[in-house]
Amino acid sequence: MSEIENKAENGSTESAGECTTGDTKDDKGLGLGVIFFIVAFIVCFLSGTLLFPKLLYSKKEQPFNFDHELHVGEAGDCDACHSLRDDGSFTGIPKLETCLDCHSEEPMGETDDEAIFTQEYVVKEKEVPWLVYSRQPDCVYFSHAAHLLGKDEMDCASCHGPIGESTSSRPYEENRLTGYSRDIWGKNIFGIKKNSWDSMKMDDCAECHKEKNDQKGYCFQCHK
Amino acid sequence: MKQENTKTHKFGMVIDLDKCTGCGSCMVSCMSENNVPFKDDESDKKKSITWMRVYKLTNGKSFPDTEMVYLPRPCQHCAGKGGHGHSPCVSVCPATATDYGYDTGIVSQIYTRCFGCRYCMGACPYHARYFNWWDPKWPEGMEKYLSPSVSPRMRGVVEKCSFCYHRYQAARDIAYSQGDKNEIPEENYQTACTTACPAGAIVFGDLNNPEHKVHKIVNPDPHPDTFNKHVVGKSRNPNVFRLLERLGTNPKVYYLSEREWVRKAGDNYREGEWDKIKNHYGATSTHG
Amino acid sequence: MKVDRRSFLGLGLGAVAGVTVSPMMLKLTDDSSILSQTTKLWPWALDHPPLDGESTYESSVCSLCPGACGISVRKIDNRPIKIEGLDDYPVNDGGACLHGIAGLQYLYDPARVKTPLKRNGDGFEEISWDDAIAIVSGKLGDIRKSGAPEKLACIIDKDQGSVSGLFKRLLETFGSPNFYTMPSLESNLELTAEALHGEGMTIGFDLANADLVLSFGAGLIEGWGSPVACFKANASRKERHAKLYQIEPRLSNTAANADKWIPVKPGTEADLALGICAVMLKNNLFKGSATSAFTGGFNKLAAQVQQDYSPVKTAEITGVKAADIEKLATKFAKAKMPLAVFGKGRGDGAQSLKEMAAVQLLNCMVGNLNKKGGTFVMPKAEYLEFPESSLDGIAQKGMLKEKTGKYVNQLFEKVNQTSKPVIEALFVYNANPCYNMHKPKTVKQAFEKIPFIVSFSSFLDETAMEADIILPSHTFLERFEDVATGAGLAKSVVGLTKPMLDPIFDTRHPGDSVISIAKALESGVAQNFEWETYEECLEGVTAGIWDSLSEDGFALLSEEAPSTAAMVNVSYLAAGPATVKAQGDYKLTLIPIDNMRLISAGYSASPFAIKTVADTVLKGKDILVEINPLTANGLKEGGYATLATPIGTARVRIHLNEGIMPGVIGMVEGLGHTFDNIFVSNKGVNVNDLIGPVIESGSGLDAAFGIKAKLS
Repeated sequence: MSEIENKAENGSTESAGECTTGDTKDDKGLGLGVIFFIVAFIVCFLSGTLLFPKLLYSKKEQPFNFDHELHVGEAGDCDACHSLRDDGSFTGIPKLETCLDCHSEEPMGETDDEAIFTQEYVVKEKEVPWLVYSRQPDCVYFSHAAHLLGKDEMDCASCHGPIGESTSSRPYEENRLTGYSRDIWGKNIFGIKKNSWDSMKMDDCAECHKEKNDQKGYCFQCHK
Repeated sequence: MKQENTKTHKFGMVIDLDKCTGCGSCMVSCMSENNVPFKDDESDKKKSITWMRVYKLTNGKSFPDTEMVYLPRPCQHCAGKGGHGHSPCVSVCPATATDYGYDTGIVSQIYTRCFGCRYCMGACPYHARYFNWWDPKWPEGMEKYLSPSVSPRMRGVVEKCSFCYHRYQAARDIAYSQGDKNEIPEENYQTACTTACPAGAIVFGDLNNPEHKVHKIVNPDPHPDTFNKHVVGKSRNPNVFRLLERLGTNPKVYYLSEREWVRKAGDNYREGEWDKIKNHYGATSTHG
Repeated sequence: MKVDRRSFLGLGLGAVAGVTVSPMMLKLTDDSSILSQTTKLWPWALDHPPLDGESTYESSVCSLCPGACGISVRKIDNRPIKIEGLDDYPVNDGGACLHGIAGLQYLYDPARVKTPLKRNGDGFEEISWDDAIAIVSGKLGDIRKSGAPEKLACIIDKDQGSVSGLFKRLLETFGSPNFYTMPSLESNLELTAEALHGEGMTIGFDLANADLVLSFGAGLIEGWGSPVACFKANASRKERHAKLYQIEPRLSNTAANADKWIPVKPGTEADLALGICAVMLKNNLFKGSATSAFTGGFNKLAAQVQQDYSPVKTAEITGVKAADIEKLATKFAKAKMPLAVFGKGRGDGAQSLKEMAAVQLLNCMVGNLNKKGGTFVMPKAEYLEFPESSLDGIAQKGMLKEKTGKYVNQLFEKVNQTSKPVIEALFVYNANPCYNMHKPKTVKQAFEKIPFIVSFSSFLDETAMEADIILPSHTFLERFEDVATGAGLAKSVVGLTKPMLDPIFDTRHPGDSVISIAKALESGVAQNFEWETYEECLEGVTAGIWDSLSEDGFALLSEEAPSTAAMVNVSYLAAGPATVKAQGDYKLTLIPIDNMRLISAGYSASPFAIKTVADTVLKGKDILVEINPLTANGLKEGGYATLATPIGTARVRIHLNEGIMPGVIGMVEGLGHTFDNIFVSNKGVNVNDLIGPVIESGSGLDAAFGIKAKLS
């Protein structure tokens, strides 16, 4: 192949002299080409795998750290704060009002986070601008009631993972292109998932629906 | 087919044209419920997005024998030939941006999936689909009234009536939270046009549920029509008709009128055809 | 080492292979497809996708029109997102009209006045509330000092409710009798009641129970009275086996929905009513027990009517066949619960007292007064208890002066006639006379002659644009108010409008504006306004019904037919008032058309409502007028034409309609606004610009049902 290539090159090169001399000596250039190939491959593969995600996602810190484990211990299970309303709609991240069921203007603990919470939000009566890891695009309709109370009565961890065991808030990573949270695609940039909560894309919904209902479902089941 | 809601619904509507006053409440209720935008000039009706549109029909007679009737036209949610879910629009969509919900009989439209080829608009015999030629724009501050239940659309996609599907979703949430997973009371799922109509001309419900008012009025024939096997669910009420019924699109929107000329206006009949059909279905005229 | 082409090739291929095998390509493909779907490419929405939250419903009362329907406002985390009709509310029970449903658009209307304004040359400058109140009270103080307090006038939409009561009280304690209301169905009902049944009365129509409704052009589904209540009553006809006969020159929605449409020449409804009356007299089809109690010369009237309105003569005048008139009279008189309804179109605007009284006479003759399914003659709903006002010397003197004109049209006439200013200052609230009175040009002329005009409008409409000071009011979604449903309903209901959100601009409650103006005046006036806020005043003056207002959202004052018999005095009709004729000599007659999707009184229809208007009414910026093909005379569908009347000309397009009487031109009311709102303004023509007032002798009302016109 290289010979054909070389011939072709000879034929098409304007400054034929230099190339011809190199050509006649040996095949060192090919070896160099392979090395260059390998180096470039490795560099690009690694940057596509390691550097690219860093560029693609911007990291944002939560307003302050939230200790889920502590709250689960003190207040109870997930539904102590993240509950269904009477009409079956989901409250999501609780409003300040819910926090004030237990908290007050007096800090309950000694952490800096508690101090930020009371000073910046409780005293000023401002809602905490939490960044929601699992926020889906606007076109998605998701009924927590259907999944929690439906025939399969799923638990929170199936989709959200063991977040209740976390003691601090990890940074929120936003996709610079789409504006959505990294949790939707999942942490793994290859899109490989090990746990059911590793990613939250449409295919993940469809996979489970297919398994439980024999079919992926109709568009309007999950869209609005 | 296993469904979370084991009962298969077939949501439909019957509109009493003798009661309709053409007031336009249904149109505005639909627009404000579904985040439909508006432009400074909406008089070019081909470019004016109205999921629910009220048409005016006349009997074509000259003064003083003229008669007039208004006909509200939402998406007809066709079940397609034989009622198998091959609605005209669904069959042609290359992007699967619209599908037929076999659990509800509702034809969906997913804006983020649509890429704006507008085949569906060409396929729809009822002009029920609209294209967004422009991005929606609201006067300053007015975006605050937008509803989170319905996604606002962007330029370049097709939109249409969804039978207020988000109200079905909300009704199901209520059912789940109250423990009746399969029971959605008739009054819990009503479209925005139905509840707004001050004349009570629109009746909405499950055509499969004999308890529902819509079923009682329409009384759909469970067998295919003897004239045309593609037509299913034909009403056994002689005053009820569907638009272009003989096409076999099998819409789930029915119309009711005591006036024969109105019923006749629901399709294009050649000379003599109407009398044959009229007699076949036993329609009796009170208005001539 | 030598780097040659091959090395570069290796480098390039390696890079491509590396990137391809890495997840980058797949991820970027996926992301860019999502990007193409998301609202991120959509400039306005990036920061504001509609936020989800807790969904709640709050009830209130709509006060956009006199119908006063109960509404239910859906809110997400306290943000109003949708208005719907309120179930079980005694007026509308669940239904709503398109204007009410679109109510949220008025909150963010581009023409809203966001802060007090003061005239500055041709435009306005923003001022503070304190400055604005100081300017107004200063000017008012000067007028009082000059000893002519009657030179303060006030024009308001209605003489009902506590806000109107506060304006009236301010004028009274200031010393001016010049308090005016815009012509409305309520005012017309009261005038008719006054002519036939005595002062302080009004008339309600039991449409929901009558079994034969004979409507003399009343647009029962065009927005007449309380629109949704009328829609409901009309829709229930089918189940009740009741009939509706509609008498008017055009196949309106009401006529199309009716059991029978009886086309009549424009402006001859009164003659037809008297013609029917004559047949009833001739054939002894009236209730003798009822007519025997009539006062004011019934025998004289009977003789006169039979002489002037024989079926043949009536047929000649009205264009309805003599035989049909006889049949109609027989059907009406023999019905179990017959009911004749007056008030052409929406019943507001120009009306003839002769016509209204003649139609009401039919009700009197079949004896349906104060009976189920008939007309209820009842005292005006009085539920407000303002504390006794105390007038100082200046006020007492001023209140003894005569009103400048009986009705608002006469006020403008007087202002225009005299060279010295008869009115020094004018308050305008909830009224847009510079748009919706006939020949608004002369209204504007009058406005120019009034040195100081204060508008309390929420919107910079045609009238507010003529003002010197604008004290912007909250919209109905931002305030408390008691709203009485009058408007021809058989029942009498007062509802409570409640704020659905905090005011979004620097506006105030009109009641609060009046109270602060009064408090800034000398003690003779100020002492009559002891309330700190309007809310305090509201609770005080509605004390009798406040409990049910605040708990149920409404108070039902009366529902059943009044138990007392109504007095009937026919002297007005017996005097033989003349029928009003259309102005001009042209061959055709231009009449205004009421269209449910537009608003003719008050501000304007919303962008949503305008969107629903048919392209046979409005096309681009052109208005279409309706004519019968027989009248077309070469004019083509959609073609342009010049419409000329003695008052003005307009460029219009033609819509051929078989459903309009030959010789009549129909033009929709509610278009042709000129204020700053691209969604509703500068579209079509204001029909009032083409019609001039015709004063009915005897009543003094502007009774111009139309005007003579030509099309070329």
